[in-house]
This record gives sequence, structure tokens and C-alpha cells, in this order.
Amino acid sequence: MSAGQGQANRTSWSLAAPALALLLIGSIGPLLIVLVYSFMTPGDYSGVQRPFTTQAWEQVFLTRDIFDDTLGWADAHMTIFWRSVKLSVLTAVITFLLGLPTAWFIATRPPDRRALWLFLITIPFWTNLLIRTIAINEIIRNEGLLNQVLLKLGVIGAPLQILYTDTAVLIGMAYVYLPMMVLPMYAAIDRFDTRLLEAAYDLFANRWQALWHVVLPVIRPGILAGSILVFVPSLGAYVTPRVLGGGKNMMIGNFIELQFGQGQNWPLGAALAVLLLIAVGLALTVYVRVLGGAGRADG
Amino acid sequence: MDEATRVYVKDASKRFGHGATVVHALADVTLTIEGGSFFTLLGPSGCGKTTLLRLLAGFETPTGGRILLGDQDVTALPPNRRPINTVFQSYALFPHLSVAQNVGFGLKMQGIARAKRDARVDQMLALVRMQDFAERPVAQLSGGQQQRVALARALAPEPRVLLLDEPLSALDLKLRKEMQIELKRLQRETGITFVFVTHDQEEALTMSDRIAVMSAGRVQQIGTPREIYAHPANRFVAGFIGESNFLPVTVADGAARIGDHRISLAAPADPGPATLAIRPEDIMLEPGAALSAEVTDTVYLGNAVQIMARLEDGTQIALRQPATIDLPESGQRIGLRLPVEAVQILEAE
Repeated sequence: MSAGQGQANRTSWSLAAPALALLLIGSIGPLLIVLVYSFMTPGDYSGVQRPFTTQAWEQVFLTRDIFDDTLGWADAHMTIFWRSVKLSVLTAVITFLLGLPTAWFIATRPPDRRALWLFLITIPFWTNLLIRTIAINEIIRNEGLLNQVLLKLGVIGAPLQILYTDTAVLIGMAYVYLPMMVLPMYAAIDRFDTRLLEAAYDLFANRWQALWHVVLPVIRPGILAGSILVFVPSLGAYVTPRVLGGGKNMMIGNFIELQFGQGQNWPLGAALAVLLLIAVGLALTVYVRVLGGAGRADG
Repeated sequence: MDEATRVYVKDASKRFGHGATVVHALADVTLTIEGGSFFTLLGPSGCGKTTLLRLLAGFETPTGGRILLGDQDVTALPPNRRPINTVFQSYALFPHLSVAQNVGFGLKMQGIARAKRDARVDQMLALVRMQDFAERPVAQLSGGQQQRVALARALAPEPRVLLLDEPLSALDLKLRKEMQIELKRLQRETGITFVFVTHDQEEALTMSDRIAVMSAGRVQQIGTPREIYAHPANRFVAGFIGESNFLPVTVADGAARIGDHRISLAAPADPGPATLAIRPEDIMLEPGAALSAEVTDTVYLGNAVQIMARLEDGTQIALRQPATIDLPESGQRIGLRLPVEAVQILEAE
């Protein structure tokens, strides 16, 4: 690296410093508090108290049988964890499948039209998430719009039980996070040189081959950014599973909230939150390594 | 020449837009490109040469007419089903692939087995002298190297026709000269029909077996470089290829009249007003000649001098002479001879 580049790097670091400072204070500080709380004892009514203990961490993985006092795997926790991961991955996949054609469509409009389409994509942000989620509840519940229409059309004989299932949570999360997928993918496709597509066709690729071997690898940074922006908040989603999943189909976010609320077990909630953070970190590392490096000749 | 690689374009036309904004990019173009030849489409930007190339590649479908490759009608075939490959103006190399992966792309899409593909890629890289760069990402290559990779990539699937869309325009002069020779060599060695698009007349003259000069969506003239330079079919061609003087004349009795000076013609021409075209280097200085002019300016060009002069009727004329002659002064009168074999009679303006 030349001296000039080093200089440029130092300048850009100092430009980013205020924002970095804010982010560090806002994230590292509270995280440390959460980490410390996870090693403390639950308070009498709420909060935490001494002594320091690893009890909460044991509770994350193991559960003590209330009758014979034996230790067993905390299956309920694992189920909730697994459901969260599964639903978040599926949300990322669904938003990708819906978002790719959408982003492509917007990026291929005439330049003076694109702003309008992007504006339309962001309209849902105007309304509070809770209101929008309740609106989806209204649509998919047994007496809701969807079931009424399907019944009228004779497609189904009895109302579909969608509400309070994983499907409902999935629909809600895909709806909420779709713009997060579309926007970065739009940015990547906007930079995509369509002559590469002509080159691919010219070299005997059909449409699917051109998509798979040229478009997707070239816009990979956008896909990567979009899926992270969808997957991470999905994993910690709270409102959507609460309103659409009901009490049974909890996700990890709801379970953590439960510990800080009714459960009155702040250390367990804190330990779960730390675990979630570690899981997200690991998942992202693996994901970026695998997808970020695949097919790149320069390593 | 090779029948299967001959390209036949019949009455091809292409319109863009509709209603009042319709643009005729190509108007009833008919031409034959002999198999195994180096054929150039030459013209200024907007003349339709790139549109014609895109029709050959299959990126556009003609609004009228047909395109045949050998005796196969390929008019409606999509680009991925034509045995024709393209070297793009901006190269359009795949940025996420290495040099070797770029070159092997077409073969991979054709489903050719790995071992055979690798061998062919090596062979292609050797052909363009890029063996040492096989594993490099294309972003690390210079313009000239990218150019070679783009060539290797397009040649690897052994197309019957190779299309080249102004491939040298992004290179500097020295590299461009080198690549001109290189392209000519590749064409000879592979025997593939090259269809080369350029707006650079010098490039066209030095490389082509045949040239189609295009303007306003039409082919103005097709011929060998020599034919086109020595016998331009019309004023556009005479002006676009090299420099020409255009003198208003009147044709009568097998001769052209400039004022009261008479030049007998080698080829018959229709009587009436016409334009006489002659290259600056073809005009001879001849003291005491019947056609005289007054020198207005002289320009030293290194290997030649350009003399600007005014005929008696006021027409400006340029002539080029070896730099070794004694330079005439401005205002001096000189005698000119227009050799009959160098004179072209074109339609009056």
C-alpha cells in the first residue's frame, strides 16, 4: 500500500470516528451490562442481585425436573431457539425470492421512474409496525379477509388456521423485512452492467444459466447485505411472533422478554440474549465466509 | 471460401420507437460476408453499423429482412443458439471470474467436459499470449490484456463468425497498432470470419479484406480497401475515407469542365453538372499547366507538405507534395494537373 493510500485511510477513519464512538458507547456499554447480569442471581421481584453465579447459564441448557430433581436438557429452550433460526432463515429465503425480481424490476425502470418505485417500497415504514402486524392478523385470521374470499370462491370448505402458526409468523416477518432485502439488492443491480448479460447470452448461456453464473455472483454483495439485514432482526423479532404466533409459537425474542417480565428471571433473559448474540455472530461469520468467498478467484 | 461461415444479410431493416419518434437505424441492408474473410463495417457513429452487428449477434431482431449463416436462417435465433461470438466494445469480462474462467465460460455453458475445456482454455490463452495470467482476476489486467482475454473468450467456443464491436477504441495509439496486427494474425490463423465494426477509416483500410461503408442506416459502398479508397462511390465515401477535394464541374462530351479548363475522363459520365473528386496527393504540380491556382497557405506535415490553393472560380483545393519540393510562397500562382486516372466524377451536390 502506498503512502497516499495510508493517508487516505487515516482521513476516512477520522471521518468515521464520531459515528463509531456513538455506536461503541451505545452497543458495547449495554452489552457489558447484559453480560454481567447473566452471571448474577435473580432479584426477589425483578432485577438482579448478588451473588455472582453461573446458574442462569445452566438454566439455558439444562432444566431441573420439579418432581425428581434430576437434570435434563432444556428442550423447550432448544425448541424456541431452533424455531427462531428456522423462521429467520426462511424469512431471508422468502424475502430473497420475492425481492430479487422486485429489485430487478425497479433497477430496470427508466431512471426518472426508479425513485417513485423505491418510494412505494418504503411506504409501509410510514405506519407503526404493531398496527401493520395487527392488520395482517385481520387478514389471515379465521374470519379474516383471506379466508372469507377463499370460502366465497369455494377453494376451501372450512377456514384455514393460519393465525397462531409458524406460517403466520413467517408471512408477517417476510412482509415486514422485504424492503430490507429489496433496497440493498436494488443498489447492487443498479450497478450491474447489463452488457455482462449480453456477453453471457452470447456465450451460449440460457436465461437461468445467465442468472446463476453471472447475475447472482456479480450482485452477491447486495444479496449478502440484504439477507443479513433480514436475518438478524428476524432472529430477534418480538412484535410479529407475539401478534401472529400467539403464546405457543414463541421466538427467542419473546422468550427473553418473558424472563424480564412475568418470569422475573433477569439473569436467564440476559444469558439468552448473550447466547443469541453469539449465535448471530457465528452464523454471520460462517455465512459471509461461505457466500462471500465462493467463486471469487482472487480469494 | 467456406460456405458454412458465409453471412448473408438480405433487406435487413431495424426501426426503433414508434409513431412520430420512429428511428430507422437500418434501412434495407443487403450484403454478403464471405466465409473466412475479414469484413469491416465502417461509418460514423449513428450510421447503423453497431445495430447491424447486434442483429448478427442476435441481441436485436430485425424489423424486416433475413440473416443467413451459410444456408441456415438465423434471423429468429436467440444469441445463445447462434454459432457467433462477440468481442464487446467495453470487453464485458465477467468481473467475478478469473481469466481462465472467463475464457472457459462459453465452453462451460455448452456443457463441454472439464478436461477438454481446460485444454481448450490453455490453447486460447496461448493464442493471445496470456498463458501467464490464467488465474488472475480480470480486474487486475490492463486494457490491452483485457482485450486479449475478451478475444480468447469469444474465440474459445470456435464460433463460425466473430463479431468485434470497436474493440480497439479504448486503447492508446501504440497498443491499437499492435492489436491491429494481432487481430489480423488471429483471423488468418483461425480462419474464422471476422466482422469488425469501427469508425476509424485507417483501421478499416489496414485490416480488412472488404469494407462496407455505412451512413444513415444504409450501405454506401462495399469493396476492397483499394476499391473504396481509389473509387469512392459517392461524395460521402470520398469524404469519409481519407481526404478529397470536391470541385463543381460540368460534364459534356466525355470531359469535365472547370471554368474553361477541360479534363478528359477515363470513364463515361452523364452530361450535366457534377462533382469532381480527387485526392490531395493525386494532384500534380506542373508549371505552365492550363489549370492554375493561387497559393493561400502551406502546411508542413513532416513527411509531406500540404498546399492550400484557390482556383480561378474561387474553389478551395488542397494538394499534397513530398516535403522535398521547394515550397511555393503564399500568393504565388501554380499550375495543376489532375491525372485522368485519379479523377472521380460523382453526382452534383
